Amino acid sequence: MSMAELRTAAGSWDELVDGEGAARPAAAELVQHLDELGLAELQQRQDLAELDIVGMGITFTVYSDGRGIDRAWPFDVIPRVIGADEWRRIERGLVQRLNAINLFIDDVYHDQRIVKEGVFPAHLLEHSVNFRPECVGVSPKYGVWAHISGSDLVRDADGTMYVLEDNLRVPSGVSYVLENRAISKRAFADLFAKQSILPVDAYTDELNRMLSSLAPDGVPEPTIAVLTPGIFNSAYFEHSFLAQRIGAALVEGADLVVADDECVYMRTIGGLERVHVIYRRVDDLFIDPEVFRPDSALGVPGLMRAWRAGNVAIANAPGAGVADDKVVYAWVPDMIRYYLAEEPLLPNVPTYRCLYADERQYVIDHIAELVVKPANESGGYGLLIGNRASRTELDAAIANIEADPRNWVAQPILSLSTAPTLCDGQIEPRHLDLRPFILSGATNYVSAGGLTRVALRRGSLVVNSSQGGGSKDTWIVEG
Amino acid sequence: MLLSRVADNVYWGSRYLERAEDTARVVRSFTELILDLPTGIASSWEPLLAVVGGRDQFDASHVRAEESDIVRFLVADESNHGSVVASVAQARENLRTAREVLPREAWQAVNDLYLFTGHDRESGVDRRSRARFLSRVITDSQRLDGVLTGSMRRDEAYELWRLGQAIERADMTTRVLGVRAASLLALAEQPDGFEDFDEVQWMGVLRSLTALQMYQRSHRGPIDADSVVRFLLFDVAFPRSVAGCVQRISEAFGRLPRPEHTMPAAQAVVDLLSGLPARASDGRELDQAMDRVQLALAAVHDTVYDTFVRGVI
Repeated sequence: MSMAELRTAAGSWDELVDGEGAARPAAAELVQHLDELGLAELQQRQDLAELDIVGMGITFTVYSDGRGIDRAWPFDVIPRVIGADEWRRIERGLVQRLNAINLFIDDVYHDQRIVKEGVFPAHLLEHSVNFRPECVGVSPKYGVWAHISGSDLVRDADGTMYVLEDNLRVPSGVSYVLENRAISKRAFADLFAKQSILPVDAYTDELNRMLSSLAPDGVPEPTIAVLTPGIFNSAYFEHSFLAQRIGAALVEGADLVVADDECVYMRTIGGLERVHVIYRRVDDLFIDPEVFRPDSALGVPGLMRAWRAGNVAIANAPGAGVADDKVVYAWVPDMIRYYLAEEPLLPNVPTYRCLYADERQYVIDHIAELVVKPANESGGYGLLIGNRASRTELDAAIANIEADPRNWVAQPILSLSTAPTLCDGQIEPRHLDLRPFILSGATNYVSAGGLTRVALRRGSLVVNSSQGGGSKDTWIVEG
Repeated sequence: MLLSRVADNVYWGSRYLERAEDTARVVRSFTELILDLPTGIASSWEPLLAVVGGRDQFDASHVRAEESDIVRFLVADESNHGSVVASVAQARENLRTAREVLPREAWQAVNDLYLFTGHDRESGVDRRSRARFLSRVITDSQRLDGVLTGSMRRDEAYELWRLGQAIERADMTTRVLGVRAASLLALAEQPDGFEDFDEVQWMGVLRSLTALQMYQRSHRGPIDADSVVRFLLFDVAFPRSVAGCVQRISEAFGRLPRPEHTMPAAQAVVDLLSGLPARASDGRELDQAMDRVQLALAAVHDTVYDTFVRGVI
């Protein structure tokens, strides 16, 4: 295999090689190593990695015909490399961002200073589907609501890293970061020995520490539970994985009960046992049928009472999703300036808010050059990429926007960066993004790297595993 | 403390895996045994159905009861809940929701076995590859047992695992003995000369419970029926004897919460055993005794469920 084979996609930034096909500095060792291995050996390592994944039972669930099917986790053996210096800048930017977002959420459920001072439009809150009036006046410890978040980063053709969105409700994927590393260490043991690649394993310890710190005062050794919707949830593997790593009980709604003392207990073989901290992986509309959806079988009746009484901590706090909204996203740079009096270290992707007549008109006039997104969907559903859509699809999107302008935002089509990826026995450039995970409690922690998701279909920009995406290990390499 | 729901999953995961291992061993040893017997005696594969269970379901879906039909039903038929393949699948399904309480390698061992049995099931039917397939099931199950013994904390999940395993084992031992008793009854109606193969059949019984070598070490001398029955029922030192299993059940109950509610059920089996006749000469008597032990074991199971899963006590 020669460098010439590490082709780049026209008009995109490649993470491993530059426009001339020369290795980027942080990836130099890797590219040289790939060169020495040759395609056949690399394919063999890919095959072994896939065997490991099946053998270790690393799966995710996809839905087809109303049935959940357990699929092996799609993984590409060639890692994505980021230099440590660049990574430290990204880390600072993420911490800054989450600090501002948490101040915003806490403000929104208390005095709403940011609204009163005219920085954030009042009607946005009034119409937000993620604003929970039930959370007004609650003060979670440290003023933190979004304890575990995953912000998606993309790199444009000029090499700029942008924040594409912030996932503040129940972001998933971190278990695959750790699993990908375990597999990648087997595939490239020699390289790990030779250079300094930041380890990712500390994440679960940090998670444990952060969750423990949320416990009600006077509980030195809190009992932590991970609340899962159950085995049929697409991220169940991760829920189980994280519970194991942090020594928490993995519970379903029916395992928990709120007693007359407004404390939360789990049903164990020895009777009821108090739970102090709940890491919930259930959307907040489902956590308490007394308060939210009465038909929810996933939740725990009375959980909100227990939380408001301060008898149990819930991470992420109910209501944190108010800032996880593709419309609110557009104000994050303003939040950073308002609460922290700092300039954003990581830029937002320019975002047109269909709510405003002028921005809406721009979107309608330029729809073929934009990505149109619904404000409150995750998993890539409902997304329209203007330059790949038919006229009929574009017209349908315009009709949707005009019918409900608040629910739509649009952004320029970024040419997501690529990395060489093994596809059908050949190395080809494929588009990718990056989801680092940020922990917020008394202090902040950012995962070393994050989950690199890659669109395995040629030319595709959709990286979600539910829609044909795969993943790569992410190496933060000291220069 | 262990969640009741997870306790249920661990318990059943353990039972199903033990069932898969035991069934594999019974089919393997029966296959070996039948080669040693003259045509005319026990040339039927039907006793296997009696040991493993599922006779009614088999009859409802089969018109023939030849070797390949019965072996496929017991080993490779997914629609038969008691088959090796279905037991492994159910063990995996239960343990999927109990992964966080087991050592990681334990899940991998179950998953490996599940992938293997799903993929290679037909090789468990074909006589030439059958022993290899069944041995893989047995060794994988033992591998898992080794992982738990070697790396699992002796916590509640561990005790529930041992509990499920011991109940399932004891049940299988009584079923093997019960079926042997029934065939002794049938034998009484056979013409002379077949008794010569009595010893071979008792060897088959021991083999199907992986007990032959240990029996011979403890017994010294030719195989005799009474001592085989005594060994399989009362020898506490042998892990597949009913008494050995009940001792393990008691130990597990003692280490789990609320022993005051669970111990009486285990004690009832001990009491029952102490009053049992230890003879092979009367087939009917042995058969009925095994039925009573099975009922007592079913009561142990109900106690586990009421105490740890439903929490009604």
